[in-house]
This record gives sequence, C-alpha cells and structure tokens, in this order.
Amino acid sequence: MTRWISYACGLIAMTWITADRAAAHHSFGAEYDVNKPVTITGVLTEIDWRSPHTFFFVDVTGQDGKVANWKFEGYPPTVLARLGWKKDQTMKPGDRITVTGWRARDGSNWAHSREITLADGKKLMFGPPAGTGDGGNAPAVDVR
Amino acid sequence: MKRHVVIGALMLSLIPASVFAQARTPVPRGSDGRPDLTGVWQGGSTVRGSWDDANSGFGVGGSGKNPDAPPVVGSNERPAGREAAPYQEWAAKKVLESFNKRAIDDPTARCLPPGVPRSVMLGLFPQKIVQTPKEIVVLYEYMSTFRMIPLNAKHPDDLLPSYMGDSVGHWEGDTLVVDVIGFNDRTWLAGTGTFHSEALHVTERYRRVDRDRIDYEVTMDDPKVFTKPWKLTSTLMLREGTRVQEYVCAENNLDPANFEKLLKEGVQITR
Repeated sequence: MTRWISYACGLIAMTWITADRAAAHHSFGAEYDVNKPVTITGVLTEIDWRSPHTFFFVDVTGQDGKVANWKFEGYPPTVLARLGWKKDQTMKPGDRITVTGWRARDGSNWAHSREITLADGKKLMFGPPAGTGDGGNAPAVDVR
Repeated sequence: MKRHVVIGALMLSLIPASVFAQARTPVPRGSDGRPDLTGVWQGGSTVRGSWDDANSGFGVGGSGKNPDAPPVVGSNERPAGREAAPYQEWAAKKVLESFNKRAIDDPTARCLPPGVPRSVMLGLFPQKIVQTPKEIVVLYEYMSTFRMIPLNAKHPDDLLPSYMGDSVGHWEGDTLVVDVIGFNDRTWLAGTGTFHSEALHVTERYRRVDRDRIDYEVTMDDPKVFTKPWKLTSTLMLREGTRVQEYVCAENNLDPANFEKLLKEGVQITR
C-alpha cells in the first residue's frame, strides 16, 4: 500500500465529514471506510456517466513504475450537471487529475470520490460527503 | 443629480442578483385566488436563491455559497431537534437494526420508489409542482416518481397498495392539505429503517409563506407500528432555472451485489 507515491492516507484534514449529508441512493459506510481518506493523482482513463452513480477510472503510477487502475464512485449525471460538470468537456480521458475521497472496505483499488482537482487547477465536487445514506449520527428512534 | 443617478445605477449593477433573492416577495396566486405552488423546489433546504446559490462549493449537503447558511438536511438522517419516531418497542428495535447495519436494507438501494414523505423532504434531487384549480401534480426526479393530487375528491375504494400511495387534497385557507393512504409496506418514511405497515395514513400541509418558500408539515399515523402519530416539519425552497430531469436508477445499480459480497466475505460494516 505504501508503494503508491501518489496517494496519502490520512493526511488530509477532511473537515467536511462532520457536516450533515443530503439523502443519497445508498449507504456510504457499507462500502467505504471513513477512516481511510485518500488523495490520488493520476491520469483519467474513462468516465461512465450513469445512474444511480457515475464511475470514473484513473491510472496511478507507483514508485516502481507499475500502473494501477483505480475505480471511483460519485454522484449521478443530473446531480453532477447541477454542480457545474459538463459531460465530455469538464474532464476527459488523458487529463491528469487529483481526487480526494475514501477507500473501499474491501481494500481494492476502489474509492468513493469527494473532490476533484482538474488539470487547470479548478476544483469541483464529484461525490457526497462521507457517511451519506448511513442514517447520520443518530437513529430515528431514541436508543433505550 | 444626473451624475448621482448614473453612479447609483452603476452601484446597483455591482450587487449580485442573489442578494435580491434574499428579499421576501409576495406569494404568487392562481386565477382561483389560491396560492400557486407551481415551480421547481428543493426539499430539506432553507436557503433562498438558485440551485447554484444553495448547493455550489461544498456540494449538495453543504451550505452553498454562504458558509454560514444551514446545510441541506437529508431525509435519511435525524437532524438535531427532530422528534424521535414514536415506534412501539418491537418496531423501534427493528429501526435500530437497520441503523446499525448502515442502511444496507434501504429500499432505495434497490431503486424502489422512496414513498411519502421521504420523496418530499430529500434535497439531492429537485421536485416539480404543477398546479391547476382541480388537480395538483408533483414530479420527483429521484427515482422518476410522480403524484397526482385531485382536489376535493375522494380516495377510490379499490386501491391497490402502492409505494407513493393515493393522494387527495383540499385547501384550508392558504394551506394545501393532502391526505395520503393506500401505501404498501415497502418504503421508509423519514430516516434509516423507518418502516411502516399498509395501515399508514399520511397528512401533509403545504403553506407557501412567500415566493421562495413552502413550509411543509407532515403527520404520519400507523397504529400497527407507532404509539402515537409522528409529526415532522421541513421546508421546500424555490429553485428557479432548475430542470427536473431523468433519473434511471436501475441503469447501473451495483449496490445490492456489493453489499451481498461484503457480507459474504465477512467485511465489518456494522457501527
């Protein structure tokens, strides 16, 4: 894990995780680990604009020169459009981007995306905050 | 004098349009004199202005361009101050199980319709209200669902249980009151695990308090799972310029398979 020069677990102050979340399609906590934040820089290979979640893929080159393809999950197309994303324009395969997010619980090269820094330095949100869809910090019933 | 007018006009032109959106303006009314609820709305928000004003920067779930504004509250969360759901003891345990399992049994994770009031109170997707003197129609982007609300009508007597229920409405002064029955037992109401039975009876009250805002109050009654009716309040904010678009959840839904795989592999996902 430490071989990848381009990502650093736990280095970012992800202050937004304490904020309230908007309703989402599914549970963040079932698939992703809030204690494993990641920042990854690499080259975009593909974006799959689909509902209920858009996926994109990034080639990340390790210290040893080996390339690993990472999968990232994010908002559906209409939510992305309302956040300012333009399909096939804002981000294209071949672009060098930096993604922050959280790793999947299964430990594979898979993560939930939050913010993307584009090749020109512009930043845009691509996915919801951690904890989305989990029910928040308290259940709907009082715990007895 | 003339110079002052020119300078004044120049200064006005420098004020962003969103500032004007903060001002309260009168409630639009239809030909029948009733408040006209027609428009595209965002649930769970209290921020005035466009979708971009309320949701840019931090993204939906944040506070938009104003960092001091309250965030959009999710329909599956329990925000501070929200009354606990008055479930009977056996039912409260079931709700807690879903919460502890991080909502992997959420019906919407299988792309099923969110039901009422969840559809109304969620903020990630817009909803469009179309009002006529005889009928009100609501189109929800999330899961591409809709509701038809005939006014001063009776529920049909041959209702089949459904996800979104059967709605009829009437006006009480300037408040639209909607009565909803005929639900199946496959939706969550307002929060993780908030299940109900087919006996669910929902009463909604929509009051457009000014041009930008509808105050929403919902009472959920289900004697099979609650000890008393459960009442919640929320707000809908006008989002001019926003379109309700297509959302086809079944297109690429990988979640159920992922959850099953994780459970099979013994990956710890409980709280």
